[in-house]
Amino acid sequence: MSTDALPSKSGGNAALAFAKKPLVVALILIVLLLAVGEWLSPGFASPGQVLRLLIVAALLGIVAAGQNLVILGGREGIDLSVGGIVSLAAILAGNVMNGADSGILPAILVCIVVGGLFGLINGVGVTLLRIPPLVMTLGMLGVLQGLLVVIRNGIPSGRAAPGLSDFVVKPFLLGLPGIIWLWLLIGLAMAFLLRRTVFGYRVYAIGSNEQAAFMAGVPVKTIRVALFMLSGVFAAIAGMCLLGYSGSSFANVGEQYMLPSIIAVVLGGTPLSGGKGGYTGTMAGAVLLVLLQSILTTVHIDEAGRQMVFGATLVALMLFYGRAKAMRG
Amino acid sequence: MSELIVRGARKAYGATVALSRGDLHLKPGEVHVLIGSNGSGKSTLCKIVAGSVKPDAGEVLLDGKPVTIDGPRAARALGIGIFYQELSLAARRTVAENILLPAMPVKGGIFVDRTELEERTARIIAEFQDVAGEGFAADVTVDRLRADQRQLVEIMKALATDAPILIFDEPTSALDRAQVDRFFEILRRLKQEGRAMVFISHRMDEIFSIGDRVTVIRDGATVASSAIAETNADEVIRQMVGEREALSAESKPPVPAAAGEPMLSVANLNGAGFRDVSFTVGKGEILGFGGLHGQGQSSVLRAIFGALAHNAGTIEVHGKACAARSPAEAIRNGIAYVSGDRGRDGTLTGRPILENVTPIHFLRNRSHLARPGALATLADGPLKALKTKFQDIGQPVNSLSGGNQQKVVIARWLIDRPAILLLDDPTKGIDLAAKSDLFQLIRSLAAEGMGIALYSSEDAELLANADRILVFNSGVVTRELQGEDRTRYNLYHAAYEAA
Repeated sequence: MSTDALPSKSGGNAALAFAKKPLVVALILIVLLLAVGEWLSPGFASPGQVLRLLIVAALLGIVAAGQNLVILGGREGIDLSVGGIVSLAAILAGNVMNGADSGILPAILVCIVVGGLFGLINGVGVTLLRIPPLVMTLGMLGVLQGLLVVIRNGIPSGRAAPGLSDFVVKPFLLGLPGIIWLWLLIGLAMAFLLRRTVFGYRVYAIGSNEQAAFMAGVPVKTIRVALFMLSGVFAAIAGMCLLGYSGSSFANVGEQYMLPSIIAVVLGGTPLSGGKGGYTGTMAGAVLLVLLQSILTTVHIDEAGRQMVFGATLVALMLFYGRAKAMRG
Repeated sequence: MSELIVRGARKAYGATVALSRGDLHLKPGEVHVLIGSNGSGKSTLCKIVAGSVKPDAGEVLLDGKPVTIDGPRAARALGIGIFYQELSLAARRTVAENILLPAMPVKGGIFVDRTELEERTARIIAEFQDVAGEGFAADVTVDRLRADQRQLVEIMKALATDAPILIFDEPTSALDRAQVDRFFEILRRLKQEGRAMVFISHRMDEIFSIGDRVTVIRDGATVASSAIAETNADEVIRQMVGEREALSAESKPPVPAAAGEPMLSVANLNGAGFRDVSFTVGKGEILGFGGLHGQGQSSVLRAIFGALAHNAGTIEVHGKACAARSPAEAIRNGIAYVSGDRGRDGTLTGRPILENVTPIHFLRNRSHLARPGALATLADGPLKALKTKFQDIGQPVNSLSGGNQQKVVIARWLIDRPAILLLDDPTKGIDLAAKSDLFQLIRSLAAEGMGIALYSSEDAELLANADRILVFNSGVVTRELQGEDRTRYNLYHAAYEAA
């Protein structure tokens, strides 16, 4: 028995050490994928191309920030409605600004309020009505999709203001567009929120053991509602940026963000069970995922194929982290 | 006809010996009472007979022949049926299905025979129908039943096995008078049929009304076995306690000079699992809650802490009404609560030691920013005072031993000192050294003027550390022991007498 156990044990330890630093793994994979991309299609890793990838990653990363918070809060926390909120925000912003720079500020306000409102409903459903997050946010996604049909009545409407488009695609400072700076700012804010505020400590507390947190006086429900609200707000901000990126909105433009936002969080080392992890890893996860998507496009795998790869990636990650946990125990 | 003899049964879990020498001689046609205090080994002995626990040593004889019972199936094949203390019902299935769960009638190899199921269960249910109360029927799912009705289903399940030997581990704890009487009538009939029954109960009146023989277990060993007719309640309690310890009051810990000024006053508190509870805890006093496990002690503490609702009565802290509706509110009023169930109520699993110590400080100071460096300095004092062993305040709390984890949980209450400390069986599952550290700390906290309420399921711990003891029985305080009266004998007497 001992002779059999030895090699598998050392293998397990190596895998464990590997799994312990998801950020390192993600960064190594990013470099690797860039190399593969460059080999498959020269010019893939050129500065301009990398910058374009980063803009797409920033859009995903902003959605994933909210997803990250909800997942950290535990109790099967997940927000499947982010895609719907992204779409809704893109349409609302497009209609509010309708191509005029003067409409940018009102659009921001509308997006934040609407995103926060839908997040609030999610949070209330999950805490006060005790609906499982998966069911609550999936239901909300359905409601949002219906709402989109009603609002648009099938006709595309609304355009991005030039100022917003410039913010997303044109260099702003040090050759980087505003959205990259915004993403970095969100990264810093998330790190501060999670590591330097009582709110952050409490998020980890309810994520690791809700009952114990409650017994230690943590306002569990308030925190959880706040997490869902933040998720709605982040999704709405991303939706507005997405409008700037594509110029005009189209139906279900945000749908593509639901699964990737979850995968980015898990890739970055925050387990779906919550209570540990952070946003730095999620940022790397978002870049990694966008890279993967881009490579798949380069080798002519269509949308259906990409979705399959994403789904398989999530399952593989679950298996990998599940095994790492079992080995620890 | 079945005669069951257990000789020298022994079972240890690691270093803890649950049963050191279990003897039992069960004859056909008798109700054999098994009695002993919390954790004396009764349940372990029953589980060995039922095949759910494998003994390390000893032998089991059935009708004079040695047998090995290596699983619940084997026990059933040998004709042994058991009622488990921890209810083992399938919540979403019906009463009828639960009753016949161990032996579903089957037709055609795989299909449940519904007609047979209904006929057989109808007979068993009919015996209890008039005492079962409202909403009890064969086709009701178990999760819709009250606690006493669920216990009846568990009894019916044991009866349905038709086994010649039946073991009932505390079958009457949730039943009302009429239900107990009906159950006893059935037991008497089964006796006539020549069946042998083991009966565990903590109610002396029941034991003397239904039992034929009584076997006493103390500290994991069978110490006496006698005919009920030849003994009495006092003698049984004496045997449970042991002659030596029976009458000596525990050496009283240094008495606090002024156990005067009331810190916590509770009057006529009512809630789920307790009623009419009144007491005061004085400044510098350690008030003990005693009695059998689960008699309302824990519920009272949780109600004061705002973690459990109470529907009548008053709670005053320092003479100021304080009916906390949440732990957060209780904490702001200076109340602290330490649960023995660390895994559920205490540790933030997977999080660093530091984060496990800070939540109370955040709440009481209404902080918004967290500076890890400053917090570590704050946390260090209480952790050191408790002699907590750890390498790094950033290491996950679950990398520590059970005793050290509990010290971390207690440390969170010591940065900003509470006025009242509620301890709910705080030493459950922790080592002796850690226990002694804890009680030293608790005594010194009392000396500094804190009011402390301590519930412990270990009688020795309670007798050694509490200045006064309230004995709980079926949710009511039945006796107060102080001074010379704080003896193990008195404690058991109050705990075991019918409430």
